[in-house]
Amino acid sequence: MNPRSIRFRLIIWYAGLLTAVFLLFGVALYQVLRGYLEHSLAETLARRSDQIAVSLLANLDKTGERYVAEEIQSRYAPENYDRFIRITKPNGIVLYASGPAAGFDPSGLRPLVVNAVRGDFTRKETLADGIRLLMTTKVYQAPDGERFLIESGAPMAPIETILSHLLLSLLLGVPLVGLVAVGGGFFLVGRALAPVVQIARSAEQITLHNLNERLPLTNTGDELEHLSRALNRMIARLHEAFEQNRRFLADASHELRTPLAALRGEMENVVQQARTLPELSDRAGSVLEEVDRLAKIVDALFAISRLDAGESQQGWERFDLAPLAVSTTDQMSLLAEDKGIGVACNAEGKVSVDGDRARIKQVVVNLLDNAIKYTPSGGMISLNVRARNGQAVLEVVDTGMGIPAGALPHIFERFYRVDQARSRDAGGAGLGLAIVKSICAAHGGRVEVESVEGKGSRFRVELPLASQVTK
Amino acid sequence: MRILVIEDERKVAEFVARGLRAERFAVDVANDGQAGWEMAANCQYDLVVLDLMLPSLSGIEILKRLRRRGSQVPVLVLTARADTPEKVENFEAGADDYLTKPFAFDELLVRVKALLRRGSLDRSSILRIGDLEIDRQRQQAKRAGKRIELTSKEYSLLEYLAANAGRVLSRTMIIEHVWDESFQGLTNIVDVYVRHLRGKVDDQYPKKLIRTVRGVGYSISEEAET
Repeated sequence: MNPRSIRFRLIIWYAGLLTAVFLLFGVALYQVLRGYLEHSLAETLARRSDQIAVSLLANLDKTGERYVAEEIQSRYAPENYDRFIRITKPNGIVLYASGPAAGFDPSGLRPLVVNAVRGDFTRKETLADGIRLLMTTKVYQAPDGERFLIESGAPMAPIETILSHLLLSLLLGVPLVGLVAVGGGFFLVGRALAPVVQIARSAEQITLHNLNERLPLTNTGDELEHLSRALNRMIARLHEAFEQNRRFLADASHELRTPLAALRGEMENVVQQARTLPELSDRAGSVLEEVDRLAKIVDALFAISRLDAGESQQGWERFDLAPLAVSTTDQMSLLAEDKGIGVACNAEGKVSVDGDRARIKQVVVNLLDNAIKYTPSGGMISLNVRARNGQAVLEVVDTGMGIPAGALPHIFERFYRVDQARSRDAGGAGLGLAIVKSICAAHGGRVEVESVEGKGSRFRVELPLASQVTK
Repeated sequence: MRILVIEDERKVAEFVARGLRAERFAVDVANDGQAGWEMAANCQYDLVVLDLMLPSLSGIEILKRLRRRGSQVPVLVLTARADTPEKVENFEAGADDYLTKPFAFDELLVRVKALLRRGSLDRSSILRIGDLEIDRQRQQAKRAGKRIELTSKEYSLLEYLAANAGRVLSRTMIIEHVWDESFQGLTNIVDVYVRHLRGKVDDQYPKKLIRTVRGVGYSISEEAET
């Protein structure tokens, strides 16, 4: 997938955000749960210490230390319940300490320094075998002012088990959430962008020849409908501008013909009457030549405007391009021979196309004429016709002077001249290739050029092959 | 022979009329559609030269009205448009021939004569211009009894010139007749062929038959000229 596509970027954002939110939630859940579990365990432990203090230590002076220790042992049996209890007297001597339980052995615990303890606190102790205990320490102030420290502890293993289970499910959950986000994002973004792809595809199909067509509207009232409508209005404006341009061209060439006819008639008359005056008839002849040139330009402009308007397919027929190429090459070979240029025509098999035969022939004529004009004596021109991948391909390859790279993009524009001097010399108006392009486009094909300056050019025309099915 | 020219552009009408009169035709001119229609409807003409773009009544309408009345008069349409659908429309409306502006007067004349069947074209099987002899059956040419080897295009060109001997043929006419309209863009093909033809027909002989009329075209005739 293209990493710059909106789809890709949206999915990345979508999956990234969802994963981040899930991670944040997981961390918070883990912290809150751990705090809650430790807090409630500490509460339970503290309550037990309070019980011991209130029920036993308060009467220590009456019952004696021994009684208290035995009472704790019989009432609470800390070892059996995996608990730890230790009572430290004010002088630092331990009054009572429970022994090893099933889950842990507290013998390694360091005693507390009584005077260092300021008040109640909770701590975690790690025993020699790696087992961690949660310990609360309660300070009991006896009526005579003596301070006893009551420690109550329990292993943290159950809490740790719960937390590690939670952690495991969170760790498994993250990639799962990521995957679901990518999959869901792919689907959702794909659905959201499908109309855009559709719009792009439709817009791609609108060319100068079907500017009257519009993009399909979805009528969903969403942003994409607005986009389609905006694009359609833009196409309409383009259509209008292009139409105006085309109509101007058609009208201008049309209007120019009549005065040209008058001019031509008058000048012919002059030539007739000036037969005995060679100088005058020569001048008049020169004017007539210019009239001819003007007429040719007008013809070409008119042809282009007709082609660009999408000439009707009325005069179309199905024909084989190969014999057309062979016969045209034949008809023009004298022009090439005259300049000392060799011409070869390679036409493979049957290459059927649908179109206006005279127009397609004009393509061949103009391309060959162009190649002959710009190939110096001793050069070689080859015309290749073949069918490739559903396209009829016609190539005119020459060993001529080539076209400078900077001129290549403009070579099919009307009135474009690669360089003023050389085209004037060859007598063209710069419309031959523009006509070729218009004819190709009107037949649903295209023309391309490759050229190396000083080495030669290759013009390549592609037209859709006539489908075998319909006939 | 009486010809009606219906053309609103006075200068065009004038040179057409002048040229036709020089060929000894009787010519009437109408400068708008309505006048043209009235004249065409009321007089017997042998041929009508009809412009399509006319004020007051269009050329195509005049043509249709004429044909509706059963008139068989040959009509040569002058048009400023050269596209195929237009041509088809003209012929369907009953035009006998058409000519795109701007045109050489000789082109008009050749078509007018063809329509009037006055046989401007020499249809005999042997054409002779001076000592040049063209055998149309065998498609061969001889000059001073000597056979000239010609390619088929050179022969077509020579035959076309010879069949219209004395008349100046424009490059446009030559291309249309010897080649086809696809070649219309390149006029120099005619010059190249004429040069080759001269090399074979004229170069070895003191008397030159093929003549260039600058700006107009080529002709073949007996009058010696260079």
